[in-house]
Amino acid sequence: MEFLRSPKWIDVENWPLSWEIGGTAWFPFLESIHVIAAAMVVGSILMVDLRLLGLAATRYPITTLSNELVPWSWGAFVIATITGLGMFITRAASHVVNPAFQWKIVLLVLAGANMAYFHFRVYKHVAQWDTAVATPTQLKLIGSMSLFLWAGVMLAGRWVGHII
Amino acid sequence: MPEYFTSIGTLLEGSMLQSGALWALRTIPGFPPIIQTVHILGIAVVMATVVMLDLRILGLAVRSQKISEMTQRLMPWLWWALASNFVSGAFFLFGRPTRYFNNPIFGWKLSFLLPAILLTLLFHLLSRTEIDYWELSTKRLWTARGIALLSLGLWLMVAMAGRWIAYVEYIYFPA
Repeated sequence: MEFLRSPKWIDVENWPLSWEIGGTAWFPFLESIHVIAAAMVVGSILMVDLRLLGLAATRYPITTLSNELVPWSWGAFVIATITGLGMFITRAASHVVNPAFQWKIVLLVLAGANMAYFHFRVYKHVAQWDTAVATPTQLKLIGSMSLFLWAGVMLAGRWVGHII
Repeated sequence: MPEYFTSIGTLLEGSMLQSGALWALRTIPGFPPIIQTVHILGIAVVMATVVMLDLRILGLAVRSQKISEMTQRLMPWLWWALASNFVSGAFFLFGRPTRYFNNPIFGWKLSFLLPAILLTLLFHLLSRTEIDYWELSTKRLWTARGIALLSLGLWLMVAMAGRWIAYVEYIYFPA
């Protein structure tokens, strides 16, 4: 992982934009928006996960919930990514070698893979369990994986600030 | 800051509550970030319940769901999440009480939180008086929209203010 030690990350910290964000109220502003957006990402995903587990909103078909909630997850994710990058560039070199930050990225990738597996592999058979209250074990596994991974992303994200 | 407010901090300073909270925060490995994450997960539930309901009432989200049905289904999750957030928040509040009760942004947070809770409680209780309470007349639907707009603003400001407590100097002591 040589690239994590590259001096290029220091260059990122020295961009005029990085200085502007890091030295002004822009930083806490971006951070508070990041928390709200992240809470919306996890909140909207949580609603779908609980439905996959058969624990909530069982009167609604899974497709309906998914169609109505996933756009909110993505919209909030875009906002969280932009605000996150804004904070990242102010301390880029420290973040890339911060174990909490590295865990956060790994967990994000795993959460994304879990979601992709659901949407591209499992979702084809949606007609079989769309309205089921007692959902198949596979869905329960995907739903609980998603809950744990996203909670892990939050924990790692929160831990970043305790190490930096 | 009004004196009655800052004096709560002084009262808690040196109490058993403070020593208990500080013990947990200092002794249990990883306790501060873990408790903060529990607090943010509570905020995620606030987003998935009252914020989502407000967005629904304003016609922006989950349009297949009915307002009254959503209210009955989601509110218990909200009240449990708030209870959890009072506990997770209390560790930090009791740990350094004078820090919070002398912090104007913490004052703001409570000033948003209290009306947010009362407004949501009022909305919840009214919806329990009659089936489809909010959908029965145009007048009630517009009342619900007014409440939703106010509620949305209040809850988002609670979350926003929470994060700014740590950055109080950016607002009160500009460079």
